[in-house]
Amino acid sequence: MGEISFIGIPVWEIAKFFVLFGLLIYVVFSFVIVRQVKLMIDTLQVGYEGLIRFFSYVHLLFSISFFVFAIIIL
Amino acid sequence: MPDIFISQKKEEIKKEESPVQKEVKEMLGETNTKKEKKSYIASYLRRPKGIKFETKDSQEKIELLLRMHPITNLKWILITVLMFFVPALLKQFPILDFLPKNYQLVISVGWYLVIFSYALENFLTWYFNVYIITDERIIDVDFYNLIYKDVSEAEIEKIQDISYRMGGVIRTLFNFGDVFIQTAAEKPNFEFLAVPRPDKVAKLLQELKVQEKQEELEGRVR
Repeated sequence: MGEISFIGIPVWEIAKFFVLFGLLIYVVFSFVIVRQVKLMIDTLQVGYEGLIRFFSYVHLLFSISFFVFAIIIL
Repeated sequence: MPDIFISQKKEEIKKEESPVQKEVKEMLGETNTKKEKKSYIASYLRRPKGIKFETKDSQEKIELLLRMHPITNLKWILITVLMFFVPALLKQFPILDFLPKNYQLVISVGWYLVIFSYALENFLTWYFNVYIITDERIIDVDFYNLIYKDVSEAEIEKIQDISYRMGGVIRTLFNFGDVFIQTAAEKPNFEFLAVPRPDKVAKLLQELKVQEKQEELEGRVR
């Protein structure tokens, strides 16, 4: 697999960089969701705020864990 | 010892509603004939309790909270379900087989994460995009794509014209439509889109408008 290279860099290293970059963007997006949920809840309290906040934090935690997991396995 | 005074029973003291009052209540969906279970994810909440918004006055009463009819969520729910089964479908066609196993795993898990965030974003947008009618004003809370927030409001007394529109098979079947409100406030047009029972919403707004005018004539602030 590592034999294929592009300008001297193994192609799977380039692929790894792009995948990790994409996942990093996703982690940032998860942070945006957490911030936005906070903003929404501050603006309006219509019930189930705790549950919605919980989901946004779980999502953030999972995306960070997944990013770390991808660094390890790729 | 003889009783000097016997108070009337509570049931007797209760005033009976006049037929006109009953009719108005029926129009606005306030009758107890159908005991509706109030849920926060409902799209038509009459006099909800425990709901707060940024600019709420302590004495202000929420008359109605509206959001788009739940059926409008069908599109993104279907897309989510379809997207959920895509990895299983791809296993039948070995498109990703040229990738190493660890890359395949990352792509699969990443795919499910994207689906989750897509569903979460759509749910949040639906859940927090609400229209509030209080006894004093109308408020339109809009969140666009999790980034932009737009809150507009107009006092009931500044409402000039109310109209509603219903049409199409789905809208007629599920009884939802658009309510258009013209105001003399900073924002001239309010659109309550795809809200349930638009006729009742328009009727309520008319009632509140009349009530406000009456209060103004009587010189009451509230």
